[in-house]
This record gives sequence, structure tokens and C-alpha cells, in this order.
Amino acid sequence: MQRLHARYPFLEAAREAVATAAVDLGTVVEREEAVVERARQRVITALEEGTTGEPHRDARIELLSYPVARVLVSLVDERVLVRKYARAEADRAHEQFVDDLESTTELKSVDSSGLDLAELLDEFDLADAVTERADGEYRIAVGTYLPLAEDLWDDEWRLVNRPLTDGEVPLEETELRTLLREAIRSRIEDGLPFDVPDAIADELEAEVEAVREVLADLELTREIDTVVPDLFPPCMKALLDDIQKGEHLPHHSRFAITAFLTSIGMTTDQIVDLYRVNAGFGEEMTRYQTDHIAGETSPTEYSPPSCATMQSYGDCVNKDDLCERIPHPMAYYEQRVDDADEDDLEDWRENEGEADGETASAE
Amino acid sequence: MEERTRAYLRGRFRDHYRRTEITPPPAANEREWGFIPWTEGPDTTMVRHRSLLELGDLSEFLVRKRPRHVYFSAGRFRDPGASSMHEKDWQSADLVFDLDADHLPSVTLGEDSYAEMLAKCKGALGRLLEFLEDDFGFEELEIVFSGGRGYHVHVRDDGVQHLAREHRREIVDYVRGIGLEFEHLIETETVAGLGRKTPTERRTLQIEGGWGRRTHDHFMAFVDELLAMDDDDAIARLQAFDGIGEGKAKATLNAARTNREGLEAGNVTVHTAVAQLAERFASRAVERDNAPIDEPVTTDTNRLIRLPGSLHGGSGLETVRLGRGEIADFDPLVDAVPDTFHGQEIAVDITDGGPVELGGDSFTVSEGDQSLPEYVAVFLMARGRAEKEKE
Repeated sequence: MQRLHARYPFLEAAREAVATAAVDLGTVVEREEAVVERARQRVITALEEGTTGEPHRDARIELLSYPVARVLVSLVDERVLVRKYARAEADRAHEQFVDDLESTTELKSVDSSGLDLAELLDEFDLADAVTERADGEYRIAVGTYLPLAEDLWDDEWRLVNRPLTDGEVPLEETELRTLLREAIRSRIEDGLPFDVPDAIADELEAEVEAVREVLADLELTREIDTVVPDLFPPCMKALLDDIQKGEHLPHHSRFAITAFLTSIGMTTDQIVDLYRVNAGFGEEMTRYQTDHIAGETSPTEYSPPSCATMQSYGDCVNKDDLCERIPHPMAYYEQRVDDADEDDLEDWRENEGEADGETASAE
Repeated sequence: MEERTRAYLRGRFRDHYRRTEITPPPAANEREWGFIPWTEGPDTTMVRHRSLLELGDLSEFLVRKRPRHVYFSAGRFRDPGASSMHEKDWQSADLVFDLDADHLPSVTLGEDSYAEMLAKCKGALGRLLEFLEDDFGFEELEIVFSGGRGYHVHVRDDGVQHLAREHRREIVDYVRGIGLEFEHLIETETVAGLGRKTPTERRTLQIEGGWGRRTHDHFMAFVDELLAMDDDDAIARLQAFDGIGEGKAKATLNAARTNREGLEAGNVTVHTAVAQLAERFASRAVERDNAPIDEPVTTDTNRLIRLPGSLHGGSGLETVRLGRGEIADFDPLVDAVPDTFHGQEIAVDITDGGPVELGGDSFTVSEGDQSLPEYVAVFLMARGRAEKEKE
């Protein structure tokens, strides 16, 4: 069983195996260098390559490196790391279980290290929600589908584009596997970051530092973390303009601009400052909404709407050439930021910062 | 509104609650309750963050407080009486839909009468229920006339209780047809091909359900319309579409005449002209079939909704639960008039005369002191068009 757990360490059974083996994480991080090293590799490879690296030959080390990796991620405590890490673990698991599902079943023995579909569905409580049809397609209950598809940006995943019938969404086999990957991602992300006892934190200081360095090098916070209003897509420029003029925006428009600003790395305070140009903008409401959209006060971090959605709400205005080539306002902005000469980029927040600095030094 | 008018309505609301049994929603003690009392000025001061424990027995509370409006939350909480949402600790929420005449594109405010607005709302309710019952397969629906300008539907199926705001937004977009992309309604299948050397792709419209089916229904209705015409008329009808010239019109008609079966099976890509035409029916389907629900009501998992069985302080009408079979014959302006207000006339001073439709009748009231059936008087007072006559 240990090989199965090592390959799929997020399984409930794997967690239990670690727990019942009475493994004390404190002792592991103190004494088992190989485990810590593999954990470090998991996290850093996730950041650098979007995968989790070569598994350790020793199943026990491989398995234990997973909880230690979660500790590391928690200690670094950056949302972007949590997302990248969970995505990488889920991608690897997806690759593995697709292999398992496609390899011939005759080879399966009692001590199999592979998973079959029924086991996977069971693991995520999906057995009742998913049914297989005679033609090899699947159906999934709509209430189960929606949370699983929430992070899939492509418009084909939007419910409106699905032939929903009698409460069920039809799925191709590959689509079902994608949703299982999302279930895994969401489980891995769940509960991260958590509080780590000081004793363990002290042991991992060097590893945490190493991960932080990689994060800084990759400028991952610049996954986008650049605020140059001049480069905003025309739709977002228009919405921001309206807010700054003090116009009352419908909810969906306010949602769109706020989610956009959050996604390019702005904090609630910064968004409040940006909106503040107009005195009657309602700071408290903005804070409440922004915290919610940014996932501070809600379980989810919201993504800004796609071009299609912006269009259907009538928020798509002043389209330019670039708009024709991109499906998403974020893609527009990424493109414009990439195209710009880095030295010319003047981050709006830096100006804000300087202003504060001047005030401080004048005292 | 004068104090004597408020006093009168308070008293009569109390009388109504004394003689009416109100059925609370399921898990009433896990919900937040709120109400608006009869106070001076516009009715905006809501007393909320109350648990049923604080209100006491619901019927007793209604008699004691005889509120102007009463609400309960779609959400269920661990501590519904806590004053902040965080402390309330959200557990789950019914999925609620609101159809409000004010938001219907088909309603022309200021032109349509109250009865016309409500009739259009009922039409939209029919379309909404089609989505909820056929597409979503929901079974636990509570359908309610709101007592004001529309209808509410509370969905209480277990499968939706956990959904967060953004998931509910997907449901809203589905029902309203927002974000629909024709290309995603097309299914691509690789066909080995009869006698063909290379496999080809067959692209068919997904007709088994959803907006694909609706698009297909509208498209086929149009095809059948064409088939019933003679060639010249059919060609002219097709050319009336932007971007369809004579060539495409002929190709389309030919496909309709020779391959109606293929079209019926969803094979709308038999000819590019046909595919182009079919695409237009996706937006036509949205235009005709969407249910223009009020988005924020559905996405807000903490929303307070009017209590079925209670009186609407802005109309004096009852918020009525409707059985599925009762909708067709339901006339809100007759059936939501509370029995309590039937059977006597009272004296009122009409401040804003004009047409009134109520109780199955339509008439015009003139301004000034007069005696009217009580339900008409209550309606006009609640709407701010009359005051109770001075004693």
C-alpha cells in the first residue's frame, strides 16, 4: 500500500497511514534529511516547473515528504505559492491517474500502486454524483459540477454552454478526469496555509528561506503584480473611470473591476486608495466587497470575468485591435505589460509609496 | 403617510395575523429574521439579525409586532442572531430566484398597468420553472407571489444548499443565457467515414438539452416554416437575414428540402450557410426563452426574503405560496387579496386618484373623501395613494 500512498499522498488513506504510523513531524524534520530535501524539491519544482519533481525511490520518504512540503508552504505563507503548489501536485496526480486508468487492468494485483476510477470517485465523495452511460460518457450532478469547475476559465466549462438536462451535466471521459484533477487541487489547497509549531518552523528555516528566494527570483508575485492603469484593457479603464467619477456601477461591473484589480496584485487598501479619487465611493462597501472577492472573507478568490461575460453584461467597450485577439481582460493586460519596456513601467503603487515617504521624511 | 393611516393598517394587519396560520420555512430557527415596523418616513429601517428564538413564536410575534414587512434569510447559520455575518457562521442557503416586474425587459414602466406587469411576470415565471424543473431537475420548489411586483422561487434541494456565490452566478447566467457561445454548443465527433479514405469530423449541435436544445427547437421551427412556403417566398424569407444572399439562401433551402432529417438530428453543419443560420437562433433562443431574474437576489447567500403568508406593507396584499398546479389560474390581484379585508367599506381620503385594478375589477377613483371596499382602501393606503379619513 505504501507505494500507492507515496504516489497519491493526498488520499485520505495516506493521511491515515502517516497518522497511525505515529510519525512525529517534528522528529522527521529534525532527523530525516532525505525527507526534508525531497519536500523542498517538491515545493521548489512546483514553483519553477509546475510539477513536483522526480519521486524518491524510497516510498516512505516520498510519502513523508508530502506533509513536510505542506508545512513548508504554510511557513512561507504566500497565496501564490499555495496556488502554484496545489496546481503542481494536482497536475502530477492527474498525469499518474490517467496512466493508471489507461494501463491494462489485468496487471492489477492486490498490492497495486494504481488507482481505478471507482476508487478515485469514492475518495472525493463523487460516486453518487457521477454516473457512467452506455456510450462511455459520464454525467455529473450540477451541484457537484459547479464547485469543481469553478477554476476552469475556458468558456466551454461555463454552465450556460453545457447541455444540462434533468440536473446533470454530460461529460466526456477526459473532462471527468479534468474535474477529478480539480477535486485533488482543491483538497490540497484546503487548509493551506496552517499554523506550524515553532519547533518545526525553526528546523525548516533554511528551506523556507530557499523557497522565498525562488519566489523572489521568479517574481511570481508578478504573476501579475504590476499596476499600470494606462495599460489596462479598455473595459477596465472605462469602469475605473466611472468609479473615480463617482458613478454608481451595477454590481456585476463593480465585481469585474475589483476582481481585475485584485488579480493584478492590488491589496484591498490599495484598491480603496485607487477608488478614493471620488469622495462618495463608499469605503466600507468597497472594503467588504474587495475582501470578499480577494478571498479574505470568503473561501474563494474570484477571477475577473472573461471577455464573453463582459460583453454579455454590456461592460465591453472601446474594443481595440488587441481585444480581438484575446479572450480575457487579464490576457490583454498581461500582453501589454509584456510588450512594454520594463524600465518604462511606472507602477501606480510606487507613486503612492513615494508620496507616503515624503510625508514621513518631512516630519 | 399620516399616523392615523399607519395606526389603522397596523390594527388591521394585526387582525389579519390573528386569524391566519403562518407556516414557517423549514429550519426556521437556523435562519436570520428581519422586519420593518410601521414607522414614519420611507420604509427603510429594517430590524434584522434576529433569530427565531429572539422573536418567539412566529404567530405570536406577528400579532404582537404586526410589522409592515417580514423577512427571513435564504441562508442557514450556526448562530443566526449574531450581529455580523462572520459570527453568524454560514452553513448553507436555499437557492432563491426573484422575478420583479421592475426588471423585466418586456415591461414598460409607466405604461404597463400593474395587472399587465404582473401578467408578464407570470410569463417569465413559466420560463424560469422550465429551466429549474427540466434543465436543473430541481424537485423541492416553493413558488411564491411576492405580494408586490413579482414572484419568488425558493429551491431547497440538498444538491444546491452548499453552493457559494460564484456557483450561483453560473446558475443565474444559465437561466439568463449570459455567456452563451454557439461554438461551444457544437459537438465535434470524428467519423470513420463511409467509403472515405480519411476520417472526417462531424460537427453537430448538442440537442440533448440545455441551450443547444433550445437553439435547435427555434431553428427547426423556422425550418418547418420555410418548408411550408413556396420556393420564392422561402428564399426571400432567408435573404431577410443579414449576410445571407441568394446563394446561401438557396443552399439552405436545399438542405432543408433534401435533408430535414439531418437537421432534425442536430447536423447543422451540412453546409456553412446552414451553420451560420443556426448560429443566429442561439441568440434568438436567449431572447425568447431566458428568464430575466434579478441577479443579486440569487447570488447573495445571506439574502433576506419576504415571508410567505405575510402581508406586504406596500400593497396590503398577501405573499402567497402557490402549488405547481395553481399558477395557471392564479390572479394576484384577486387571489392575493386577504380575506380579512373583504366584507366592509371604510372611509378614506384619496390623495392620488386614478385607475385601480383589484379584486377582478378595474375602475378609476377620484380624489377626496369617499367610502370604498376595505381591500381597495388598504391597497391605496399601503401604496401611499390614500389616507385614512379623519374620525
